Amino acid sequence: MRWMWIDTFVAFEPGKRAMAVKNVSRSEDHLHDHFPGFPVMPASLMIEGMAQTAGVLVGEARRFREKVLLAKIRRARFDDYCTPGDRIRYEAFIEAIDEAAATTRGIVYKEDRPIGEVDLMFSHADNAATDLGLPGHNFVFTDQFMDLLTAFNVRTAD
Amino acid sequence: MAMSRDEVFKKVESVLVDALGVDDDEVTEEATLTGDLGAESIDFLDIVFRLEKAFEIKIPRGELFPDDILNNPDFVENGRMTTAGLTQLKRSMPHANFSEFEKDPSVSRMPDLFTVKAIVDFVALKLNQSG
Amino acid sequence: MKFELIDRIIELEPDTRIVATKSVSLAEEYLADHFPTFPILPGVLMLQAMVDAASWLTRVSTHFAHSLILLTEVRNVTYKSFVKPGQQMRLDVACRRLGEADGEFAGTGHCGPVEVVKGRFVLRHFNLADENPALASLDRRVIQAARARYGLLCNHHDEASADSAA
Repeated sequence: MRWMWIDTFVAFEPGKRAMAVKNVSRSEDHLHDHFPGFPVMPASLMIEGMAQTAGVLVGEARRFREKVLLAKIRRARFDDYCTPGDRIRYEAFIEAIDEAAATTRGIVYKEDRPIGEVDLMFSHADNAATDLGLPGHNFVFTDQFMDLLTAFNVRTAD
Repeated sequence: MAMSRDEVFKKVESVLVDALGVDDDEVTEEATLTGDLGAESIDFLDIVFRLEKAFEIKIPRGELFPDDILNNPDFVENGRMTTAGLTQLKRSMPHANFSEFEKDPSVSRMPDLFTVKAIVDFVALKLNQSG
Repeated sequence: MKFELIDRIIELEPDTRIVATKSVSLAEEYLADHFPTFPILPGVLMLQAMVDAASWLTRVSTHFAHSLILLTEVRNVTYKSFVKPGQQMRLDVACRRLGEADGEFAGTGHCGPVEVVKGRFVLRHFNLADENPALASLDRRVIQAARARYGLLCNHHDEASADSAA
């Protein structure tokens, strides 16, 4: 099982907006505990899907120089839930970004219908004054994430 | 367009309730952001962002919460603000009340400067400047 | 991947509060990706641990009346530090309100004395049969599984009360 909660990007406007898709499949393990007999995509994992969409958007905006870590879920709200066969879409927008942090807002869609909102804040770990014992290299943007962007000709760190 | 201090307070109260998840009766003039309202460092950034939107003003980094002063060795020595540091801090925070802080200017006490009143005064000043 | 974030329930006061723990082990699959050279519990799973604790509080307080308990709203969840393999996170969740259709909760997570996460959230509780009576058997299945799981989580808790009663 991989910690990858988006399947592909369908839109990527550097510095502004990105949209990614996630298909909910009955073969996913985690659905069988949530709940046994009636699988429902957990809202916390939809928040993660948005965090991954927004995190890549934010990372790319600063050429993946810094570690982008989720620092705050400002607000999330869901009016409906998703089950196997549903296609979830995460649309993220950058609201503010500087060397210390980034603020994003996002809409979650079930097929084409908006069903939720997720507003997040990320901190740029190399620049925020923290002493959390982080390793020196950028462990956040692994090949898994970088591969998702190959279709979009985005710039990476020099 | 002039906004009364009361109106500014109401809007700041609303920003703090949204950003920190506190109840509105907890947001008193004397309440400190970190001590009384439980704000973390990421919350300070969230508060600045929300104040900018609520009041349609621009707040450059370090203007409301001057974190850069703490990192300057001329201004901090052995965990306490130097005279030069205190002067610089007062200059960059005309909205804050230093009478208590001056009695013991330890860096650890700096968060006590960030009261609701200091934010309301900061915003009122900003709004007056922009006319 | 098992999607059960609570390992044991330490204290539970119906309608009021719950204390539970989640231990992090290097054997948890998702750690291989989060992150390959720096394994830490993902922030949303720290939230899910608080949600799970609140769900158990809801189930016990409502006598397992509902099958589905879903997270519908989250407010101001802030992350202060990491939880690494070998550490145990203690969840303290208080119920601010428990109504017919949903409940409001405020929680924190600690590793020892260090607070690692805090936030507030709303959980909606309901039965599929509320909308479609034909699905009542599914509700029963989910509730039965929840009761069985609860038995495992508070096993030692019951032993402790039995000891103190003796």
